[in-house]
Amino acid sequence: MCLGIPGRIVEISNEGRFPMGVVDFGGVQRDVCLAFVGDDVGVGHYVIVHVGFAISVVDEQEANRTRELLTELVRPGVVGSAAEPGINRLARKPGLL
Amino acid sequence: MKYLSEYRDGDIARGLVQTIRSVTTRCWVLMEVCGGQTHTIVRYGIDELLVDSVELIHGPGCPVCVTPLAQIDRALALASRRNVIFTSFGDMLRVPGSKSDLQQVRAGGGDVRVVYSPLDALEIARSNPAREVVFFAVGFETTAPANAMAVWRAKELDVRNFSVLASHVTVLPAMAAIVESPQNRVQAFLAAGHVCTVMGWTEYEPLAEKYRVPIIVTGFEPVDLLEGILLAVRQLESGRHQVENQYRRSVKREGNLAAREMVSTVFKPVDRSWRGMGPIPASGLALREEFVAFDAELKFELQNIAVAESDRCRAGDVLRGHLKPFECPAFAGECTPESPLGAPMVSSEGACAAFYNYRRHRTADGLKR
Amino acid sequence: MSAALIRDWFLPHFANDALEQLGDAAVVDLQSGRVAISTDTFVVKPLEFPGGNIGSLAVHGTLNDLGMMGAKPRYISAGFVLEEGLSLEVLDRILHAMAAASREAGVPIVTGDTKVVERGKADGVFINTTGLGEVDAGFAPAPNLGRPDDAVIISGAIGRHGIAVIAARNELGFDVDIESDSVNLCPLVEMLRMEVGDSVHVLRDPTRGGLASSLNEIAAASRVGIELDEARIPIPEPVTATCEMLGFDPLYVANEGIMVALVDGTAATTAVAAMRAVSLGGQATVIGRATAEHSGLVTLKTRIGGSRIVAMLPGDQLPRIC
Repeated sequence: MCLGIPGRIVEISNEGRFPMGVVDFGGVQRDVCLAFVGDDVGVGHYVIVHVGFAISVVDEQEANRTRELLTELVRPGVVGSAAEPGINRLARKPGLL
Repeated sequence: MKYLSEYRDGDIARGLVQTIRSVTTRCWVLMEVCGGQTHTIVRYGIDELLVDSVELIHGPGCPVCVTPLAQIDRALALASRRNVIFTSFGDMLRVPGSKSDLQQVRAGGGDVRVVYSPLDALEIARSNPAREVVFFAVGFETTAPANAMAVWRAKELDVRNFSVLASHVTVLPAMAAIVESPQNRVQAFLAAGHVCTVMGWTEYEPLAEKYRVPIIVTGFEPVDLLEGILLAVRQLESGRHQVENQYRRSVKREGNLAAREMVSTVFKPVDRSWRGMGPIPASGLALREEFVAFDAELKFELQNIAVAESDRCRAGDVLRGHLKPFECPAFAGECTPESPLGAPMVSSEGACAAFYNYRRHRTADGLKR
Repeated sequence: MSAALIRDWFLPHFANDALEQLGDAAVVDLQSGRVAISTDTFVVKPLEFPGGNIGSLAVHGTLNDLGMMGAKPRYISAGFVLEEGLSLEVLDRILHAMAAASREAGVPIVTGDTKVVERGKADGVFINTTGLGEVDAGFAPAPNLGRPDDAVIISGAIGRHGIAVIAARNELGFDVDIESDSVNLCPLVEMLRMEVGDSVHVLRDPTRGGLASSLNEIAAASRVGIELDEARIPIPEPVTATCEMLGFDPLYVANEGIMVALVDGTAATTAVAAMRAVSLGGQATVIGRATAEHSGLVTLKTRIGGSRIVAMLPGDQLPRIC
């Protein structure tokens, strides 16, 4: 529900009780606790950050694969005409709206 | 911003809209669970672009909205105490209690401070040993690991002037309650991507199976939501009902084990009442025995508290997806973000607030809807 | 105390004939015709931030308010309420910045006032500036002169000042590489006046409340609708990033160095080219248009083709997590 923003690790410190990092979010930098992703990350990795904690490491391979798939999907000719809304003939609205 | 901006790409989004329209043979009813997803849908106009293909029902995934009124009142009582520094996420400041809100308490002299991270609250406690510092620990499973870590660290460092007012809820029981209800119209769920980043999706598999609903773990940007909707309607069109992961760049099936471990070390599941929705069994988290010294409710003896909810607020119906915000008689009239009747009009993730900010003209002018 | 303060700290910065007379009022010359007068009081926390301080802000702000009505600023007054205990080094930097802004604009500070109040009764310093300007009869944009089919043009990227100030408060623990855009916009106004003249119907600098608030006010005053194209609104990446983190909408973040113009549709291309010829207006671009429909309402076509309204914002945006 939650505001999780992707950012790039630019610094890591293992000196304290938990691994801490400095994460760069498109030009904004903040200290982030890396305790929940500790062993999996290094400088240059992207993480999803929520309330000052990294909760996952961005799977860049998956991200690239998705992007390729989606870009392929919208190549002209792959999908039908862009003009008309409601192409489906049997559409029926369920009551409200 | 990398891994964010690409998921707002207009061409990809428009392509997905076309694809969804071309594969649907009827209008399907989907629920996006998380308030952040609702916000994106309304803000970008996704529901209007897909109006013939899907109906999007907005789910109860707004932790600010579902925090029980009694807990808000306890927060206000604590924040008003002279020796207390009351810390909270920014969202909570304007949520109406029975008679007031944190912003008014602050204006009246209460020491109420917005923090970005629970660790900041702990730091404030360490820097102010003579004052009591209370942190309003609100959230779903996404936030639970961070809040758990703050408590765990407080215990390790023996910080005695720190405590949390906990109001954690878990998402799965609410989804089950919705789909079990006799009035349920939801045919597929878009599950909350950041909750699943922590928890994984194994616990959704029995739900998908038992109620024959596709559940798509979905992210928060327009392209994520559109891809999630596409995966859902493809399943519905072919009669499948599985758990599928759209938010692959962040979510793994088992979630984040280190985070889950921290949560279960500090918290245990309890029954919880959701504001506007009533009690949902095993849908909350409370501090375990060993951490009970950090429970603000016990520390400050705030257990019994009488509440007065507005009788004109329809938040419960909105949160359950039975009422769209603009269908509420009080919407944009008696109930506005400046003078809210309930939490969904004030929380930036609340459905009422989203419609008020981005779609108010639809009702005001009597245009469509 | 006050006399010494003025003599030792203020006068050295603001040398000009009128001021040095230290009369009860400054007597100055103005061309005959209509006169524009604008006043504004500046209460900024913190007093200093990347890109400026309360002093430069106070001068630029009043110059811009005059410019937005098409006036050529001639004179400024400055009133100060100083909190006892304010660092004299800080005061010196503030005055230095005011003097520099005044000199750069060619608009002298001809009269002023200082008062000192007890500790705790002012946030360091409050500054009021009032400006006088001359109005050219042929160039008088006003908020209610917008018309359907006017192009809505922005002179630069949005959100810089508000974010720079929030970051400078450093309450939420993040560092951001952004400076306030506080600047004197009058040269840009002058360029527009020369190139497209009375095709400029409305000028506005979107300060508190951001672009969204200004456009709503213009839509209401002019009784037009405004439609924006989200993909065309320039937003620097650090502004986007900070807004993402804090849950702000960049459309509502304060600006101090950009202006929005409603220009006759036929003159839009010339107007944009004119602005881009000045470095201040290097990112000038059309971001939308006025319309005869939905009078008073501002709508936005989203990046993905959907639509939303851009409402007036109630209260201040708050940082959020969830």
